[in-house]
Amino acid sequence: MSSGENILSANISVDYPGKKGVLRDVALDIAQGEILGLVGESGSGKSTLSLAILGLLNLKGGTARGNMAFLGRELTTLSEREMRSIRGRQLSLVLQSPHSSLNPALKIGTQLTEAWKAHAQGSRVQCRRDILSALQMVSLLDGESLLNRRPSELSVGQAQRVLIALAILHRPVLLIADEPTSALDMITQSEILRLFARLNRELRMSILFISHDLLAVASLCHRIAILKDGEVVECGSTEMIFNHPEHSYTRQLIAALPAAPARLEEVVVYSR
Amino acid sequence: MSRRMQIVLASFCFCWLFVSTAAAQSGGELRFSIQSEPKTFDPMLADDDSSETIRYLTGGFLIRLNRQTQTLEPELATSWKVSNGGQTISFELRRNVVFSDGTPFSADDVAYTMRTLMDPNLHSPTADPFRSVEGQVKIDVKSPTAIVLQFPGPVANLEELFDSVAIVSAKSPHRDVAGLGPFVVAEHKAGSSIVLRRNPNYWKRDAAGKPLPYLDAVHLDIQQNRDLEMLRFRRGEIQLINTIAPDAFDRLAADMRSAAHDAGPSFDTEQMWFNQVASAPIPDYKKAWFRSQNFRRAVSQAINRADMCRIAFAGHAQPAAGMISPANHFWFNAKLRPEETDVPGALKRLADDGFHLDKDVLRDRDGHAVEFSIITNAGNKVRERLAVMMQDDLARIGIRLNVVTLDFPSLIDRISHSFNYEACLLGLVNVDLDPSTQMNVWLSSASNHQWNPEEKTPATPWEVEIDRLMHAQASTTDNKQRKEYFDRVQEIVADQAPFIYLVNKNALSAVSPTVRNAAPVVLRPQTYWNIDSLYLAAPDPSGRHGE
Amino acid sequence: MSRIRLVAIVFLALTFSAVLFADFVAPAPYAKQFREVPNAAPSLKHLLGTDDLGRDSFSRLLYGSRVSLLLAPAAALLSTLIAAFVGGSAGYLGGWFERVALAATDLSLSLPWLFLLLTVRALLPLNVAPVTSVVVTFALLGVLGWSSSGRVICSGARAIRESDFVLQAKALGCAPHRLILRQVLPNLQPVLSAQFWTSIPIFIIAEANLGILGLGVAEPLPSWGNLLRGLENWPEVKASPWKLAPIVALIAVVSCFQLIFQKRENLAS
Repeated sequence: MSSGENILSANISVDYPGKKGVLRDVALDIAQGEILGLVGESGSGKSTLSLAILGLLNLKGGTARGNMAFLGRELTTLSEREMRSIRGRQLSLVLQSPHSSLNPALKIGTQLTEAWKAHAQGSRVQCRRDILSALQMVSLLDGESLLNRRPSELSVGQAQRVLIALAILHRPVLLIADEPTSALDMITQSEILRLFARLNRELRMSILFISHDLLAVASLCHRIAILKDGEVVECGSTEMIFNHPEHSYTRQLIAALPAAPARLEEVVVYSR
Repeated sequence: MSRRMQIVLASFCFCWLFVSTAAAQSGGELRFSIQSEPKTFDPMLADDDSSETIRYLTGGFLIRLNRQTQTLEPELATSWKVSNGGQTISFELRRNVVFSDGTPFSADDVAYTMRTLMDPNLHSPTADPFRSVEGQVKIDVKSPTAIVLQFPGPVANLEELFDSVAIVSAKSPHRDVAGLGPFVVAEHKAGSSIVLRRNPNYWKRDAAGKPLPYLDAVHLDIQQNRDLEMLRFRRGEIQLINTIAPDAFDRLAADMRSAAHDAGPSFDTEQMWFNQVASAPIPDYKKAWFRSQNFRRAVSQAINRADMCRIAFAGHAQPAAGMISPANHFWFNAKLRPEETDVPGALKRLADDGFHLDKDVLRDRDGHAVEFSIITNAGNKVRERLAVMMQDDLARIGIRLNVVTLDFPSLIDRISHSFNYEACLLGLVNVDLDPSTQMNVWLSSASNHQWNPEEKTPATPWEVEIDRLMHAQASTTDNKQRKEYFDRVQEIVADQAPFIYLVNKNALSAVSPTVRNAAPVVLRPQTYWNIDSLYLAAPDPSGRHGE
Repeated sequence: MSRIRLVAIVFLALTFSAVLFADFVAPAPYAKQFREVPNAAPSLKHLLGTDDLGRDSFSRLLYGSRVSLLLAPAAALLSTLIAAFVGGSAGYLGGWFERVALAATDLSLSLPWLFLLLTVRALLPLNVAPVTSVVVTFALLGVLGWSSSGRVICSGARAIRESDFVLQAKALGCAPHRLILRQVLPNLQPVLSAQFWTSIPIFIIAEANLGILGLGVAEPLPSWGNLLRGLENWPEVKASPWKLAPIVALIAVVSCFQLIFQKRENLAS
């Protein structure tokens, strides 16, 4: 399922002050157009990994060791300024809870404009065209009326789509989605999963899909990495993980699923 | 016992109690407030108001200044004679007087008192005025009832000084509590109250031969808050207030006409002065204004004193004629009149000095607009009103006055240390009748010579003249001669206006109608100067006091 | 609901125009002493009577309102800006900067600022025109009055720093100054405006208290502060209730501001 060469190839360890080894030699490769699922229970270091890749660990006081090659550049050696020009343009993030991730004080249009201005220059018309196309991309068709609303006036599903629109505004190469569906109800969740699959297909966008929900991951991802206590214990194609789990923890996870992954084939076919 | 019987018995007891207080006509406990804890109960060390109150009520004195007639009256001395140019005084003492503890009083006690008082190690503030010249006091006890004191040099106003010398016993084993005054200290609750009981051995009797004082006790509450003091007076919890602010006085008079007493102009003055200190950090052209007699007099003439009395004091003040209040019967120079408000006159005086009006703005010879600041202490509403009225008055002659209210410590610092001020408005409380106590104000070398303190040599000819006159009046005991000198000082001060006197406040006091024989005066202690003849009327049987 | 708001707006508009055009509206100059009629009761000539020096109380109220209505908000703005800067950057930047800024805030909260003001006033030259003195007084209040607001704003800013939307915005590559301008400030705005509005009456009353210490607006210029001092004397006020006019004006204006402000808040949330 992976095609082309790796756009991200990382091997990192992360320490927090007073808490060493939150991530230990976590090695990840993501290929162009690939969806990699990262599964682990809460506290296993999933969010830390996303922050580490974005170079935002300092917000939580953490430090990363190791290397991260992204599109041929070593991220750990880049200045904050250079990192900033990558964030949101080539490397984007979607967070878990859509309402708290949108600025409650700003209109949707303003937030999108801010995100646009972070990496683009141009007329208001251009800005508006890009924004509307991004909104269309996430299936928000009445974009115009949406722009004048505030986050509190949106449904959860709409808000999550806006958040994704923000992230894909500049057509990033890699989208990191950190638990993007766990705050959603089942129907919305499946809609968002489908949206990710479509974005991956239509934009050839690689996705690092972080979740504790193995089922959701399985329905979307080409490959899955299992994270436990700061280490990747197993990594392989979705079929391999499900059909021949090697690590006992992986087997535990699969055994804990409510139902056998009967629809697996269907979903995998769909995602292809 | 039936319930009815109980009630009858109770009311009987009630009546009996009631009759007993009514019968003790000369009894009663008088209550009033003092503003602070007395710093000392030793009469020789008294320096603050509260300590002086205790001394006044408990001390026995050879001579007493009658606060009403302002004349000296014999007390423990039946007669006295000053001789030797004010250096010697001889006393004839009263017989058959005993201290409150029963110890007999004699000339030895006076000798002991004077020896103790004049001991330099005691540092008695009362002793200071006796020390005109270095040296020992010669004390000569002629007999148990005769004593002669000879001072090393002439002492100004010698006899009046004995008004503050309370005689202590030489022999009594309870020397610190045994007194010759109408009351003795019976109880002291620090910070809250002092109870004085009647001295059963007090020597004085009334015209009918009845022993004085009439009162059984005096209860002094230590109460700083003047509003609370007034509230307690209105509730009948205290019976006297020595001084009241004009506003409060009018409100009291509206509600309790008979309790409010206006004894007329007091010795206290409100005055302003210009800073004439040569080294003061103010511009030279301003110093030149302030040193100009015409400028000072013009300011004085522009001020409307009558309005001040009427508005700021609600009529309870009189325009001041000068440094001595007309209330001081003997020493006031009756030729002096308060400065009349005279705007054209003021402008003429200013024109003589080269000042001119330029569109409502007064300018000096060099074109400087005349503007100065006057400092006064913050929080004194009456004084702030005076300042604002002056602001308006001076605007009429084109002077801009800036009123600055400062907290007291910064005010004092400016007028006595940094001299960083232009003019100052303050009140002066005068306690003594005699000009000898004003040496520390009028001598050019004195520290309270506020317009230019502690001059090495007098800065002006008129200050030379005042120095000469003040020394002259201090070096003679002939009061007629002294008065001539001092009248001249008053005239010079009025003419030169180093202090611009504004008003004499009236002595406003409150006396409960239940207090009999009260006759408030302007001199301290205004309401209880005749404490030994005061008494409380029997409570009104219909009133609440019976319960 | 909106009728109340309308009434408040109309009242404030009237007040402000009366106050701004006091020179034309006031029946007498504020310093003019009608010495024949001190402490007069209201009459046609003196709508609210006269004060203890015979000055027209209505005129003084107008001019006093002008001083307080213009300067108290200015001081409140100044202190809110300082508080926003110190508290906002402390909360937003965090780390050692936050610790230093909070220590400074605590220090300034614990300072005996009355004595500080006394000292500052003592250092000022004596010949200060009343207008200068009033500006200095309010400027001092503004400069010194930021610390408690600063703490509130700091905790607000800290919450914003830790919020997901700031993380999201950072992850989108927004530049720091845009972050502060567009993400942080709009969210602090309710806190800031609450601080601003609550500071106004506090400063008006603080100025009144300073007046008692001789630090307030210098005579003869009126301000709500020194007009309120006229109410110290309760028995007198009881006998002449029209002297309550300044406090009625103060309460009316502050509550009108609150009404309008509250409505805006409700709309926003």
